[in-house]
Amino acid sequence: MRRRVVWLLTFLGGLFYLLEFLLPARAPDWLGGFENPLTPCLPSVTSLLVVVGAMAFLLGPLNLARSHLGTLLRRRPGRLESLVFLVFLVASIVAASCEGADIHWALDALYNALFYGVQTAFFASSMALLAFYLVSAAHRAFRINNLEAGLMMASAVVILLGQVPLGDWLTQALPESLQLRHAAQWILAVPNTGVQRAVEIGVCGGAFAAGFRQWLGLGARAG
Amino acid sequence: MVILIPMPAGSASRATRGLYDAIESCPADGIVMIDSSWDQGMRAENAAQLECVVRHLCQRRIRFVVTSLGTVFSPEFAQKTIEPIAAEVGYVYGRDWVNTGYVQSASGLAPVIDSLARDFHKIRQADVRGTPIGDLPLMQHVRTIRDIHLVYVVTYAPSPEWISFVRGQFGTPVAFGCMSIMAPNYYTYIDSKQLSGMLIGNRGAAEYEALIRAPSLGTRLSMAASFGNLAIILASIVGNLGMWAALRARRRAT
Repeated sequence: MRRRVVWLLTFLGGLFYLLEFLLPARAPDWLGGFENPLTPCLPSVTSLLVVVGAMAFLLGPLNLARSHLGTLLRRRPGRLESLVFLVFLVASIVAASCEGADIHWALDALYNALFYGVQTAFFASSMALLAFYLVSAAHRAFRINNLEAGLMMASAVVILLGQVPLGDWLTQALPESLQLRHAAQWILAVPNTGVQRAVEIGVCGGAFAAGFRQWLGLGARAG
Repeated sequence: MVILIPMPAGSASRATRGLYDAIESCPADGIVMIDSSWDQGMRAENAAQLECVVRHLCQRRIRFVVTSLGTVFSPEFAQKTIEPIAAEVGYVYGRDWVNTGYVQSASGLAPVIDSLARDFHKIRQADVRGTPIGDLPLMQHVRTIRDIHLVYVVTYAPSPEWISFVRGQFGTPVAFGCMSIMAPNYYTYIDSKQLSGMLIGNRGAAEYEALIRAPSLGTRLSMAASFGNLAIILASIVGNLGMWAALRARRRAT
């Protein structure tokens, strides 16, 4: 029964968006020239979608809190990390949601400390570490052991240098058509565009088929 | 240290020039919409891309509306980037620019963009400060995407659904600001002119800053990117030399 309800809601949602998009904004005059009746409902249906999506924001922290609370109460390994998580979760919720309270200045300070002092710094650090990982991966991955790998490496060097001012500086004495940035632009605008178009066409065909199966409940997990 | 050494960008690419021309063609009473959907992880490239476009809009006294369909943190980062520039040129919040805040799109970007384009006020009822959208003087001139001259989307990887639902349905020009690593995906749209322009990483921001004659963050950071890319190339060369040396040693041993 529950699966059928899910399938029905999926089907009706898909049908609404499909018809709203495919039907003309205004019917021909010989049909009465009426406006698309689904269009006025579109913002309301989307608001419903936004509300459903917002529920995920509650489900995520609730699941995490339940899992970490369980670890803490049952004294499982990793309970210190769970305690840190729960303390930060509660502190963040309190700091971010008690606007207008009498101790607003203290909550603001707590929010700034947690958001800019901890979260932003941690996130930026983890992204910065990716750069080091990238250099390390380049050291191991770009191995020129055949012609194709050599071509890929050559185009990567041209793109990497052609996309930064260093490339301009290195080839500034050459005629404009021989400069690295022009070679990089050519690679991106011609061979890359052709490949991207081919990939897009393939992906769109696959997405259409997958979407159609999901909409009609033909997917493995539907119906 | 490399951030402190400025290296001027060369002539602007076609993609950068396209965005510049789109803003230059905006009439004095036109309004530009910016979807600033980046946070701390994307700050390294997206911050400069937002900053230079806002600076250009302020130079031309063009009003703008900011939305964030990306992450819950995005409105705060947009606010912190725009506020100093707006204060510098005397832009008044609510009259000259508005930050409408986060629009939840986790359940699907396409329907949210579509609805936002049709009726902005039904999707966002209040701005980041909690002021009802209808009470803001600027928002009285913005109801649908037809009231917007250009949509500029700045994030890690802008969604092509902006092109489908804004450019395709309503004809409103769309431009992107994206990470360098994601740029190859969007060249098809530049080629087909479905994208009016695009800023590619800090290089794009640096080129834009050169066009508006206001070198800033993008110019400084593109120098750091030069050394980053150089490090990748050097690592590849060292890795290959090591591989060839190992192969040679193995051949000699057998």
